[in-house]
Amino acid sequence: MTEFIQTLILGLLIGGVYALLASGLTLIFGVMRVINIAHGALLILAAFLTYSLWTATGIDPLAAILITTPALLVFGWLLYQATVGRIRTAPVGASVLLTFGLALVLEGVMGLIWGNTSHSVRPSYFNESFEIGQVFLPKAQVYGGALAIVVLGGLYATLNHTWLGRAIRASAVNPQGAELVGVKVGSVAAMTFAIGVASAGAGGSIVSVLYPFLPGSHYQWIARLLGIIVLGGMGSLPGAALGALALGVAETMTVTYISPAWATAVPYIFVIIVLLVRPQGLLGSRLREDVATA
Amino acid sequence: MLKVRWLALFAFVLAGLALGACGDDDDSGGGGGGGETIKIGASLPLTGEFSEPGKAAQQGYKVWEAMINAKGGLIDGRKVKMVIKDDQSNQNTIVTDYNALISRDKVDLLLGTFSSLLNLPASTVAERNRMLYVEPAGGAPELFDRGYKYLFFAQQATADKQGEVWAKWLTTDVPENERPKTAAYPTLDDPFAQPTSEGIEKILSAAGIKTVYRKTYTIDNPNLDSIANAVKATGADLVVNGATFEDGVGMVRALRKANYTPDWFYQTTAPSLGDQYGKAIGEGATEGVFYAVSHSKEAKTPGNPEFVKKYQEMFGGTEVPEDAADAYATAEVLAAAVKAVGTIERDRQIELADWLRENQVDTILGPLSWDDEGRPEGEFLVGQWQSGVPEIVLPDEAATTDKIIPGWRPQ
Repeated sequence: MTEFIQTLILGLLIGGVYALLASGLTLIFGVMRVINIAHGALLILAAFLTYSLWTATGIDPLAAILITTPALLVFGWLLYQATVGRIRTAPVGASVLLTFGLALVLEGVMGLIWGNTSHSVRPSYFNESFEIGQVFLPKAQVYGGALAIVVLGGLYATLNHTWLGRAIRASAVNPQGAELVGVKVGSVAAMTFAIGVASAGAGGSIVSVLYPFLPGSHYQWIARLLGIIVLGGMGSLPGAALGALALGVAETMTVTYISPAWATAVPYIFVIIVLLVRPQGLLGSRLREDVATA
Repeated sequence: MLKVRWLALFAFVLAGLALGACGDDDDSGGGGGGGETIKIGASLPLTGEFSEPGKAAQQGYKVWEAMINAKGGLIDGRKVKMVIKDDQSNQNTIVTDYNALISRDKVDLLLGTFSSLLNLPASTVAERNRMLYVEPAGGAPELFDRGYKYLFFAQQATADKQGEVWAKWLTTDVPENERPKTAAYPTLDDPFAQPTSEGIEKILSAAGIKTVYRKTYTIDNPNLDSIANAVKATGADLVVNGATFEDGVGMVRALRKANYTPDWFYQTTAPSLGDQYGKAIGEGATEGVFYAVSHSKEAKTPGNPEFVKKYQEMFGGTEVPEDAADAYATAEVLAAAVKAVGTIERDRQIELADWLRENQVDTILGPLSWDDEGRPEGEFLVGQWQSGVPEIVLPDEAATTDKIIPGWRPQ
């Protein structure tokens, strides 16, 4: 029983971290219909920024989030103005190609600045755990999970209780209608993209503590994060959180009760089964493309 | 007007062809003629998953290039030029790269790449083109089960024998009451890590050390906490982790997070990467970790002090990565064969291979020799982290310290 509880807790904790990492990706898709393949590279960029801050000043990576998040917010806004904004109304395929290109450019630039070697951030708690009876809770995952709740809660509150949030939702549901009632859809899209990228700032700081990383690490992340938002329902924030927790638990349960060799495959089989039964994902809604793009 | 356009296009194509032909002339090493530069091609994982060892291997090749040219060249006073491509740690790219090196860059000789995963396809390209292929890494036994005639591995032994010296020491020299009784083998699904771990298990099982956990994990799963938890549940006295760098670091972290410290800990690859390893897991956690290694910068093997000096001169620092030394030794092997046979001609490269099969080559790793399939026939060194420094502890004649810490003692 202890083993089951331990496995479940490890799955939920890592699922919490996944939720944080996936939140920006699903937000950007939900509003803009842009699949941001560069999201993984932006996470790694934030991890490198955290690394530089940590080595230069000794600042705790969790505190560094206060710097990496606004830095990525600005970077995301600039990135939108320079590149993504130009294909906002183009088909989804164009955004996939563009953001994949951006990911490759970011990988190359990170290689030039930080080198193509492995980096790690090691605050005092990086390999420590809280212990409750016989169960251990890795501190970094606990902090990552808590941060995910704060960030997702903040995003949810922004979307549902602020004018910006209403404008974002209006732009997502019916851009033409939103324009008619005075919402500047272009500006809202820029801000949404920037917020999505900013969430990668917070996620990247946690990733830097949890795993060694190098510029090429982004491939590993983007595959997993896409799986999560597809499972949760693309564009749904609560769906991303649920999908992340489900994937995290599925991974740890597979490692413990089937085999670590299947840890990557089994969760994706689970994703496929869910999509066969419910093509819009766990919490996604069916989209009437004729209305949305009319 | 249309005619003028067609004429212009025709002239452009002709000019392009002419330029291309000129380029080919310039590039041709050809294999004959005194004074021409000898082009040696390799593709290395300079970016991506294996970029860490790939970069180090590039440094090793560059050091050799500088040193051989300073001595007047490889043969007939002909200097050497390394042509190095980046395969991005990708099995498809590396095939393209080696084909391009042979057919487009027209290199005279080849040198191998890093990791068994990449050497598997790259060595096939070399074999099909009948070119000697000496590799600095790639000890997976399956590479040498294909009956290739041009493939040689420039380290002391293949992966299945990498842990042999340590496993024999543990089962014979360590007093019986201090030996582990049970062992766990969490291992990366990798053509190098897996046979290494299996080779160790074979010796330990025969000596009565019971296997209580053997599971394979994949490189794309960075979350090793559940594996560490499962290993902890077995209470194994010894953990042998067949790993590369990223997952090796992840495994130590996961064991520490699970508050589990087995009495003994052996790991492949990661601990041999010096400073990087200490920085990634924390210096205190390294104390007593065992690993196999092919090179020691303190070794008095022929040419080693000169190599170490040149490496530090070119790249700074006090560390000399094992992978840089392996790459240098690989080039030494190639050079020995070329000098002995006296040719770099494409259709005579089987003579270079035959010479290697019949002779021993002195390298900075020590003397190397091979069987008919290119498997090396030597023994690895055993390293152990002690007080934050990687030391060679076995065999006695290569040891950099008399002390062996009896087990893993993270602080």
